[in-house]
Amino acid sequence: MTEDVHTNGGTDSHETGSQDDGGHLPPKSSVKRWLVTTNHKDVGILYMITSLFFLVFGGILAFMIRMQLWQSGPFILTDLGYNQIVTAHGLLMVFWFLSPFAFGLANYLVPLQIGADDLAFPRLNAVSYWLYLFSGVLLGISFFQGSSLPTGWTLYAPLNLPAFIPPVAELGSMSGILALALFIASVTIGSVNFITTMYRMRAEGLRMRDIPLFSISILLTVWMMLFAFAALLAALMLLSFDHVFAGEVGTGYFGSEEGGSLLWTHLFWFFGHPEVYIVFFPALGVMAEVVQTFSGRRLVGRKWFIIAMALVAIQSFIVWMHHMFLTAINLPIKTVIMVTTIGISLPFDLMVFALIYTMIKGQVRWKTPFLFVLGAIVLFIIGGITGVFLGAIVLDYSFRGTYWVVAHFHYTMASGAVALVGGIYYWYPKITGKMYNEFLGKVHFVAAFVGFNLLYFPMFVVWDTPRRWFHYSGTVAPEIPFTNITLFETGFTIWHQMATVGAFLFGFSFLIMFYNLFVSLYSDRVVDESPWAYTGSAEWAVSSPPPEGNFPGTPSFATGKLSFLDRAETDGGTETAATDGGVAHAAQSHEQHADHTSWWPLGMSLTALILGLGISGLEASYFVWPFLFAIPAFVAFIGIFGARSDGYTHLHGAFVGAAVPLLALFALVFHLHHGIPGGLAEANQYFWISLIGITSGLGTLVAMGYESFHVPTPTMSEQWPFEGVSNTKLGMWVFIGSDIILFGAFIGSYIFMRIRANWTQWWDIAHNNGLTHHPVWPGLLNTYLLLASSFTVVLALAYAKRGSRRGTVTALSVTFVGATLFLLNKGIEWVDLYIHQGWQFDSGPAASTFYLTTGLHAAHVVVGMLIMLFLVARAYTGAYWSDGEDAQTIEYFGLYWHFVDIVWLFLFPLFYIL
Amino acid sequence: MAVSTTQAALEFVGLLEAQYWIAFIAILVLSALKAVTVAGWYMHMREEPRAITYLALAGLLGVVALTAGAGYSVL
Ligand code: HEM
Ligand SMILES: [Cu+2]
Repeated sequence: MTEDVHTNGGTDSHETGSQDDGGHLPPKSSVKRWLVTTNHKDVGILYMITSLFFLVFGGILAFMIRMQLWQSGPFILTDLGYNQIVTAHGLLMVFWFLSPFAFGLANYLVPLQIGADDLAFPRLNAVSYWLYLFSGVLLGISFFQGSSLPTGWTLYAPLNLPAFIPPVAELGSMSGILALALFIASVTIGSVNFITTMYRMRAEGLRMRDIPLFSISILLTVWMMLFAFAALLAALMLLSFDHVFAGEVGTGYFGSEEGGSLLWTHLFWFFGHPEVYIVFFPALGVMAEVVQTFSGRRLVGRKWFIIAMALVAIQSFIVWMHHMFLTAINLPIKTVIMVTTIGISLPFDLMVFALIYTMIKGQVRWKTPFLFVLGAIVLFIIGGITGVFLGAIVLDYSFRGTYWVVAHFHYTMASGAVALVGGIYYWYPKITGKMYNEFLGKVHFVAAFVGFNLLYFPMFVVWDTPRRWFHYSGTVAPEIPFTNITLFETGFTIWHQMATVGAFLFGFSFLIMFYNLFVSLYSDRVVDESPWAYTGSAEWAVSSPPPEGNFPGTPSFATGKLSFLDRAETDGGTETAATDGGVAHAAQSHEQHADHTSWWPLGMSLTALILGLGISGLEASYFVWPFLFAIPAFVAFIGIFGARSDGYTHLHGAFVGAAVPLLALFALVFHLHHGIPGGLAEANQYFWISLIGITSGLGTLVAMGYESFHVPTPTMSEQWPFEGVSNTKLGMWVFIGSDIILFGAFIGSYIFMRIRANWTQWWDIAHNNGLTHHPVWPGLLNTYLLLASSFTVVLALAYAKRGSRRGTVTALSVTFVGATLFLLNKGIEWVDLYIHQGWQFDSGPAASTFYLTTGLHAAHVVVGMLIMLFLVARAYTGAYWSDGEDAQTIEYFGLYWHFVDIVWLFLFPLFYIL
Repeated sequence: MAVSTTQAALEFVGLLEAQYWIAFIAILVLSALKAVTVAGWYMHMREEPRAITYLALAGLLGVVALTAGAGYSVL
């Protein structure tokens, strides 16, 4: 394929790059392949299989719930057991099954549908997968730490705080929270990857609006993910803080009297409402594709369908308070939200009509995928209508917290799952090259559809059952909402028993599917390109399963139809493309093959799991130490890996050497604090687990940084609206977009609490809580330092472009020194405030918000400094000045650093002056 | 340029007491100005396609929606 892409060779790292010719994938039968692969189709399959595993896991929990509800009194589960199981069931289904399953399909299909060879950052894609898997493992582990989270999937405050969680569940709760955080890391990386890919790597001639509907739904989904999950991450970070540092009720964030529990609902639902669309949108995409294929025509009103989806995606961020009608928020805002909520159902109507009208105008073929999708549409209509009831304030006063809500969201979310099952059958022949058994497929559909309704419809009838209760009333007869008319002279029990029977039917129908899919793998029903009579998207134009490189030639839509151009001719294009800096990661060297394997995504994610497990039991007084002790190791790793990869220089020696005094310094401080060896002996095992996790984690990051991993960017691709922005740069910007939300949620929480408390008397209150003096000058000094360090990064880039090694290294080093001074100054300030004045983390909301928000910023500074160390080492060996190409790496880092600077520009006035 | 804009902020430290909300707005506007400068020049936003700016603005808009909505809900 790409014979010779390194037009900018000549960097010495190129040598090491070519040594490793193991870039080719082992065969599919080898286990190793699945551990090292970065190919999007492989990763897609891994995602799908893993998420089906979590479906089974969550499904078993669901059976346990339904068993418990078989009778009205106590039954098989303890109360705490029931709470854990309800929580884990919700979390698993929403986070670990629905979305990842859709992303399995997306991984597999999006590059095929848009005519790309792979995603923009294949190795990061593998990282996403492994982080996802291990985050789920961590959630599983939490069950073995005494008890998992018992809070419900919404983790409402104050029940999510140590004061309200049974002591036996404390460890497991932290693990659950951290599992979610890991999951978010996976999702964010994935979102960055998909956004970059879809804007920058479409085949020639493929306009944004022309990409197939499934891919469009994924694009909108990842945008929502990018922003929504950052808000959840903020909420989880604050919650972890509350767990570790804020002991009593009335302190910290969510236990705070200044609207702490209300703050949680705001943050959670600002994420949570978009989240329900995040899980539903891919299903909508599947519906559109399947309806088109089996009606034999393009979607009616395709353009409006897309506009409606985009509208819903945007609007989903301004309806979140419809989950809060029964909280202390004021009536005017409730009214606004009621309007936006009813408003959001209108575009949905339009989409449903478009789907139905397409079937009417087309010639329907009643194949299994179509049946599932049609069934899903019917279910979704019921779910949507009952949702509008909930969106009306007055009605919700009655419905809130009842099984009406449970029934509503299962009719919406689980109908999404039903549509995705349609997607399994639809693409199964593409992915495996074999046709499923049509008869069994239809049997599955009938069983699933009947089971579904038997399971969820009775919940509408006994809507008055309080949700999440382990015992319900067996004697009250169900009534029609808002009347005294009893429907049936039976108690609740019989209806719940019906639901339980339905659950088993629904669940067992999936065994038919698993059987069907498994047996069909070994059948002789081979398919060529497409088993369907009508198809519109590019994945059906290649063989089944598609070849390793996806397409027989370079795909192009330039003529209005898909055609494949000769690779040899277009290769010239690829060559110039490499000078775009189309590298997958900072500081890559270039080599020939696009197909790559890497152990590091797996390794790195595994260390993240270890770290998460460690943090779950890390005590407050030991909290920073594993991280500090890992820094010398990181410095040494750069020296060692750097010497191996770029050839030994004195700088590498200096790095390894510097690690020793650094470690000694930290050890000394630790000694003063805890005492050595006494302090180490007293540390619990979680301290050691954390230490291992973070140290090896930083090691894998360095290893990944030095690994040779090159992805050529095709030149013949549509890149609107991001022409001229390299993939990595766009990825960086997208990441910054999510970081804006993360910081914004922190700052927003501060503003919220300050408004609640009394804006202008904020500092007076703080003075009552132990603060004596909060001077402005440390903040001001730090503003100068950061602005100056931003400027030196600009200089570093200029030097690198000019080809001055010394200039680059010097400018980066000065930046590093500036950042060090920043932290030093901050450290002195904190010591004064925290120790001398006694203004501690939990000394009221002003203290919590101050320490945590500026602390998050400081953590960003530290991360920036670690990256700088790496860049300095690379710059020293001459990585960044060949014709200015690789200089872009410094530009990418600069984006991050300047962003951190900008954040400070707002933190300074908010936390020091105003 | 970088230094001069920061100094402006310094002056306000004294004037806050009398006219809190005027000073409030002025200080935040100054911060915004500095931020726009850093984004526009250091981060090359001026030279990049407009879509990059929209991307950042979208994030900002989300933050504003959250903060304004949550803040207003308890006024
Ligand atoms: C089409 C219009 C829709 C409207 C007007 C609507 C409205 C609502 C409202 C007002 C609530 C809050 C009920 C309460 O807790 O008292 C709610 C809950 C919920 N909705 Fe919807 N909804 C719609 C569609 C959807 C869709 C498409 C999904 C997901 C695929 C969904 C998933 C959920 C979930 C999961 C909850 C429960 C959250 C919880 O408390 O655990 N809804 N819906
Ligand atoms: Cu909602």
